[in-house]
Order: sequence, then C-alpha cells, then structure tokens
Amino acid sequence: MRLRSVILALGALVALMSIGYALQRGRMLFDEDDAPIPIPPDANEKTEYAFARLRYPSFRGGSSMWSMRGNWTVDYPKADRQFVQGVRRLTRIHTRSMEEVVDLESDAVFNFPWIYAVEPGHWDLPDHQCKKLREYLLRGGFLMTDDFHGTFEWDIFTASMNRVFPDRPIVEIENKDAIFHVLYDLDERFQVPGIIMFYTGRTYEYDGVEPRWRAIYDDKGRIMVAICHNMDLGDAWEWADHPRYPERYASLAFRVGINYIIYAMTH
Amino acid sequence: MLEFLFKYPGTVFTKGNLVLLGAWPVWALMALILAGAALLAMASWRMRARATSGMRGTRMVTLWLLQSSLLALVLLLLWQPAISVATLKPQQNIVAVVLDDSRSMSLSEDGRTRKDQAIEALNKGVIEQLGRKFQLRLYRFSSGLERIEKLDQVTAQGNATRIGENLAQVAAESATLPIGAIVLASDGADNTGGVDLETVSLLRRHRIPVHTIGVGREKFQKDIEITDVQVAPRALADSRLSAQVTLKHRGYSQAKARLTVKSDSAVLASQEITLKAEGALQSESVVFNAGTAGVKNLQVAAEPLTGEENPNNNSVVRLVNVENRKPRILYIEGEPKWELKFIRRAVEEDRTLQLATILRTTQNKIYRQGISNPAEMEQGFPSKVDDLFAFQGIIIGGVEAGYFTATQMELLKQFVDRRGGGMLFLAGRGGLQEGGWGKSAMADVMPVVLADRKGTFHRDPAYVELTQAGRESLICRLEESPEKNAERWKKLPYLADYQETGTPKPGAIVLADALPSSKGRLPLLITQHYGRGRVGVFATQGSWRWQMLQPLADKSHEMFWQQLLRWLVQDTPGRVIASTPKPVLADETRVPMRAEIRDRNYLPMSDAKVSANILGPQGVAGQVEMRPDPLVPGTYLADWRADKPGAYVAEVLAKRGEEEAGRDVVNFRREDGIAENFGAEQNRELLEKLAAETGGKYYRVSDLAKLPAEISYSEAGITIREIKDLWNMPAVFFLIVLLRAGEWLLRRRWGVV
Repeated sequence: MRLRSVILALGALVALMSIGYALQRGRMLFDEDDAPIPIPPDANEKTEYAFARLRYPSFRGGSSMWSMRGNWTVDYPKADRQFVQGVRRLTRIHTRSMEEVVDLESDAVFNFPWIYAVEPGHWDLPDHQCKKLREYLLRGGFLMTDDFHGTFEWDIFTASMNRVFPDRPIVEIENKDAIFHVLYDLDERFQVPGIIMFYTGRTYEYDGVEPRWRAIYDDKGRIMVAICHNMDLGDAWEWADHPRYPERYASLAFRVGINYIIYAMTH
Repeated sequence: MLEFLFKYPGTVFTKGNLVLLGAWPVWALMALILAGAALLAMASWRMRARATSGMRGTRMVTLWLLQSSLLALVLLLLWQPAISVATLKPQQNIVAVVLDDSRSMSLSEDGRTRKDQAIEALNKGVIEQLGRKFQLRLYRFSSGLERIEKLDQVTAQGNATRIGENLAQVAAESATLPIGAIVLASDGADNTGGVDLETVSLLRRHRIPVHTIGVGREKFQKDIEITDVQVAPRALADSRLSAQVTLKHRGYSQAKARLTVKSDSAVLASQEITLKAEGALQSESVVFNAGTAGVKNLQVAAEPLTGEENPNNNSVVRLVNVENRKPRILYIEGEPKWELKFIRRAVEEDRTLQLATILRTTQNKIYRQGISNPAEMEQGFPSKVDDLFAFQGIIIGGVEAGYFTATQMELLKQFVDRRGGGMLFLAGRGGLQEGGWGKSAMADVMPVVLADRKGTFHRDPAYVELTQAGRESLICRLEESPEKNAERWKKLPYLADYQETGTPKPGAIVLADALPSSKGRLPLLITQHYGRGRVGVFATQGSWRWQMLQPLADKSHEMFWQQLLRWLVQDTPGRVIASTPKPVLADETRVPMRAEIRDRNYLPMSDAKVSANILGPQGVAGQVEMRPDPLVPGTYLADWRADKPGAYVAEVLAKRGEEEAGRDVVNFRREDGIAENFGAEQNRELLEKLAAETGGKYYRVSDLAKLPAEISYSEAGITIREIKDLWNMPAVFFLIVLLRAGEWLLRRRWGVV
C-alpha cells in the first residue's frame, strides 16, 4: 500500500512535470511548432549576413528533463526565418532567408561573425569549445544569447561563460550604449515574454522577474557577448505572426535583434 | 716615337692650322696632281696590251695608285706645307697651377697621399720648367680658391671640391692678367656634380686651356660606397617607410653586406644583401618603422667589410619629419557589411589614423561613427567644400554613384585633383560598376576602366597573389623580406568575395590580383596618381576573413588596412606645403626653400604674404620673406644661408591680409666634413672632358714630362704665331720610301721586274 502510494505520487509528479514542460514549450496551444517549415526559394542565395544559430552541448546535470532534447534547437527554425524576414524588410543588410547552424567543433563558425545561442541556461560547453568561443569573440565575433531565465539558468550559463572569459565581468549595458541606438533608440525596454505567459499569465519565468540586458565587453569597450536574460526574444520572433502574440513584444524583439546585428557589423 | 716621326708634339697638330707657304696657288697644285695622275693612267693603259696577263686589272690599278700618290706627295712638298700655331710668348704670360686641397686628396694610396703624389710630380721639374718660361701663380682650392706661395701650403683638409666655381674665378682674373693656361691637379671628385656649362663656356671664351693632372686611383680595389638614399621627407607616426639605397662596390662581388638604418643609435632596420657586379649601381630597399613623432636623423649605412679602403663613404644621413598630425578619413558605405566593422577595428589599433563613417543602415537612415561633434554630417555626406576638404582621405564603399548629388560628385573629383586627397573605392553590390561608377564623373579619376556590364560582383572565394609591384609596395608589406612577404600573402585565407574591375589604365599600378577558382586572375588592388592626389580600388569587401580566419595574434588584416589607409592620406597636403630640395646640406650653406600656398578651395593663392622663421644651432635665428615664383602660381621661393653646422627648423607662415592661410614646418641640417668621403675615386672622365672642352690635355700624375712643352701652345694670354715646316718631317721621307719600295715589292711578287 505504502509502495503503491509512493509509485502513484511519483507518477503524478512526472505527469505534472511533463505537462508543465509541454506548456512551457507551447506544444499545446501553439502546435504549429511541429508543422514542417518550408525551405525558402532563395535559401541558397549568397549574402553578406546569415542568421547563425549556435549548436551547443546541453547541460546533463540536475533534472533529467533537460536531457530530453538539444536546447539549442528551441524555436528553430521558424524564429530564425521569421526574424530574417524582418531584417530584410527593415534594413539594407543583404540577408539570407535561411539560417545557418554552426558549432564550436569546426572552424566554420569563423565565417559567421554574428551567432545566436538560445537557452544558454541549458548549455554546457566543454573546455575546447570555451577556448574556441573565446578566440572567436576576440577576433571580432559577436554572440547574442537569449531565452534563459532565473537564477538557476543564469548559474548554468555563467558556469560555461566564466570558462570562456574567466577574466571579464558580465555587466549591465547602459542605456546610452550604442547597441541601443545604432538603428532604433531603445531607451524604453521591457520584458519580452515567451508564450508561457498565455498559461501562467506572467511575463517572467522562474525567478527571472526583471529583464536583464547584460554584456561582456572587450578591451576597447565593444560588446562581444550580448546577454538577454529573463526574456524570450526568440519566441517573439517565432510567434510574431500569431494573432494572440502581442505586437509590442514582437516589435521590441525585432528591434533589439536588428540593433544587435547592426551593432555587430559596425563595432 | 710619334714625335720623332712628326717632329712636333701632337698639340701642335691639334691646335695649329695647315698652311702652304709656296708662292704658287693651291689650284695649280691640284691641277698638277690630277694631270700627273691622268698621264700615269694613260701610260698604264698603253702598256696594257704588252703587259702579261698577270699585270692586268686590279694589279695595274694598284701600281697606278702608288705612283700617283708618290707624285702627289712630291708636288705637295714643292708647295712647302707648314703648321701655323699660336704660342705663348715666353716670360709674358701667367700659368695658373691650381691644386685640389680637399680632403679626398688626403686619401693614402700605396703609402702616399694623393696630395703628396701631386706635389712630388710637379716638383720633379715641371714647376721649374714652367717657371723658366712663364710667370707662375699657385692656387689651392676646395670650396673656395686661395692663392699660395708654395706647394706645401696644400693641406688637403678642405670640406668640398668645387672645380667649376674655382676655375671660373681663375678665368675671371684673366680680364686683368695674361693667363695663358691653367694646370689643374685634382682627383676630379667634384661635389657639385661636375663642371657646369657656364664655366666651360667662360673658359672657352677666354681661350684658356685647362690642362688637367689626374691624381688618385681611378678604381678602388676594395670599397663599398652608398651613392644615394631616397626616403620620404615626411611620414606619419608609426608608419612604415622605405629607404631606397643605391650603392656600388669594388672587389666584393657576391659578398654579403649588411645595410642598417639607425636613428640616434637605435637600429630601426638591418638587412643582409648580396653585392652584385663590381662598379654597377645596385638598388636595395630597407623598410623600417618611422616611430614616434619628431625629426629623425636617419643614418643609413653599409657595415664596413674587411679590407675596405675608404670606409667613410659607407653611410649617409637623411632627415625625416615624423609628423604629429592625425589625418581623418571619411568612409561612406551603402549597406551594413562586415568589412566596415573590421576596417574600423584595424584603424582603432592605429594611433595616427582617424576614421569617420557614414553607413546607410536603412533606406532612409544613416549611422555615423567617428564624428567630431553630433552635428557633423548629420544630413549625410558633405555637400560643402569646407566640410569635405577637411578630410585627408575618402573611402567609397558599396554605395551607388547616383546616391551623390552633382555637387557632391564634383567635390569628390576636386578632392583628389585639387585638394590632393586620397580616394579608395571598395567593391560591393552598389560598388564600382554595379553602382554605376563607370559612367559617373568619377570614371575619369579611377585607376581602372570599369567593365561596361552588370553582374561583376561575386560572393565567391578568391585567393590573393601579389604582383611584382605589390611585393615592393609598402601598402602590402606584411613581412620585411619581399620573398617572405609574397609567401605570406599566398597563405592568407581566401576573400569572401571579389569584383571584376575591368582594365587598369596606363599609369595605374596593380599591386595584387584576385584568384577566383573560375575566372583566372583579376586585378584586385590598383592604385594611381590623379592630379595632386591618389586613387585606389580594392575590389573586394571580404578581406575581413583575414581577421576572422586567422589566429588572434596574426596582424595581417590590421597591418594591411593601416598601410593602405596611410598610403591614402600620408601625402595629402595642407594649405601650406614647405619644402627644400636639400634637407641635408653636405658641406654646403645655401638652402633653397619653397612653399606652395592654397586657398580654402585649394586653388593657388598668389597674393599671400609668406615668410619663413628659422631657428638653428647655437641660437641662430632669422626670418626670410619668400617671393612669389612668377612661373608657378601659388609658389613662393627663398634662399637661406646656414652658416653653422647643425639642425635647423623653418616655420613657413602664409597670410592673406590679416587672415592666416596656414603654416608648415620644414627641417634641414648642415653636415660638415662628409661630402669628400663620397665619389672619391679619380673622376678621370670629368678631367678629360674638361681638358678636351677647353683645349687642354689630360695628364696622368706619373707622366708630366711633356706638360711644360705642350702648355706653350695656347691662344690665351699674349701669343705669337709660329710656323712649323712639315717638309722635313721624317715621316715624309719614310712615306716616299714606303711608296717606292711598295711598288717594287709588288712588281717582284707579281714577277714583272
């Protein structure tokens, strides 16, 4: 009897966690996520800029649910393709319609001076990848991180990032920084939620109540790593075309992303 | 021997005129010669029938020629041939003996200095014999002329050899003195580049022959000499500079030598070279860093080799003014691209260059960086001359020609042509031909004739290879050694893209080619001068891969862009440019100065008041007003005399009314005691030419025996004409015998005697 109760309790816990995880990922409400994304007709066009998504090894410690899938794929590829449509329409950047997936195992990443890492609160970079990322950034590469929340994911993020740059602090980006003005003036920023808000009614996740716009700078005062903590710009790009996703969040997410690209192309 | 045969010295024949003393007319001589030859011909013709077959044809003509020649010679002697030659009247003329007193005469050869060789040769009877026939005046000269009483007053300590100036001074004395000839004893190592035509024509006008005595070795046995060093007089701080060193050597073919460039004893560059053919001029370039701002005294030297006879000619000094200015470059780009980011980063590493950028981020917005104030270029690319000409260089990225107004396009052209700025065109979707630049007003300025078609920009990989000009160019110098440099370029990662440029124009220099896999070899980096400025095309926007695809420690990308952009702006002038052709005065005092003055539009300003304030060593100070050059508008000239050795600085100030047009600084340095170290081999060619041009003769120092006799034949001073009979020359007798004996020998050979 006692054993059965324990088993039932555990079963219920697993079921609840599975539902929660599914909700977090929007599987139930936004099931278009699983629809096949067509390859754009001009996917192979040679362009100046391509949205480069970083493929990284996921964190295997703690709860086993983080091992269920590669976190680098979150919002992929719809967010990428939808975002670059905005880049094409709103700027003069010659932009490819299809994303590029890069990793830190080969040198191909050096061909893409701007890379995007989603959910780095789940990454676990081995030492040789930390070393390569450091070299990439110091040569002039730019990393945008997004969609990780709260203290626990922050700690996982910094566990790897501190091995990339043990000697450089992560600091808050000041409003006057060029990255918030290079195209759009982004003095008024707010938390951009993921679609989880439709279930929770909150724009934040875990204890990540306050959106944090942080960065790691190089010796010349240029941002190498732009860290969007406690927000989910990727979801905003992905669901910008959904009638239920508020325009103000999508709009800010696009502006931030575009500013970050142009900043990376000018600094 | 010749004098025995012809009875008189050769000078008599070269200076005299042939005359016939006989009373009969010359035509009679000619008639008799012709008649005699005809009679001999007729006689030969008549004998032809009786002659054996061996005596016909050519043989008969030969005999006729010998007989006729003999007849002509005998007839000529009857007319009494003689030479009429002007001869100095004994005891009534002055002979000036001029000795070289410069330091090159103190060089020791075979244990005796050149000065001693000259004095000993003159003292072996030459001076004595001359003294018997003429009044002698002794002079010594180096930079100036001085009369001396005795030859031993020659010390060989003079700092320069100015043959022309000093001979002219001696010749000038002939206006009051009967100077019959000049004897010049020198090594001919003139520091002024030779004897000028004016001096030669002065001597010829006075008919004064200059007899030259060549002293010293015509060729050293072992020596290296730096004959010239060319280096830019101005440079930006931290710039790479190239010293073009010209040298020659004797006796060290294929030996290794080391060239060094030093500044205040700090070695800036050291390079090993292999010496080429003996006596030939050899050119080498030594690259070094200009370092921090300030006037640099560069000592360019070849380290002395074992057994070198004259190590004092192994180094020269050059001045380089490393300027403290920070030229600004305006870069306009038509769309965001990685190249802009990485060019900016390369320039940020450079303490000297400043880069302002205008980037078209969207159709209607621009993003400015590197601006000096928030209002600068707020409305976009400058439309006013003051705003645009404030920059020293412009980069046109992938932006269409149509983006610029007609006014802006004209300003761009004048920026290069009149302003003297540098302009660089980059590739891109809106660059070069894709942006319509081939049909714009700037097509004339560009170093290539752009291909008249679209589709020239390709986002495909292309490797880069330097051309021969590129290997030597400072723009492309990533390694000191040209060979290593070329190899390093070959190892650079491929470019992300390239653009077909079209044909380079005549006068353009292709420094690098792009090697795309499918299109062979295309010009990639092309430069040329246009008007007062420079223009370049770098037909890619994908050199950023050199930065991203190479280790962080590799500085190829930064170095290339810094050097390219320094080339772009280094020679961009201000409104006042002061210069001197002689920044280092080697034992000279006269400093010619030149200033170019331009107005706000960079048009020549001819109504300026221009002065130079000069500060020199030991408190020397002075001011000189510069006068307009009537031949070149906007150019002002002045001469200054640097009386003391040392460093001088001249600040040239130009004003129009009370308004200051601008100012510039020129540095120069007087160095004493160096000129005589160079060109120290005996310049026989100069001495021979001088003698030949003035009617004198060149003598070796070891062969002066005939000088006293031959010097008499001169048309200068007080002369008489002497008649020298020729009929009794032994040569005439021998010729008669030769003609007769020749005929007899031929007849014997042909069997008709």
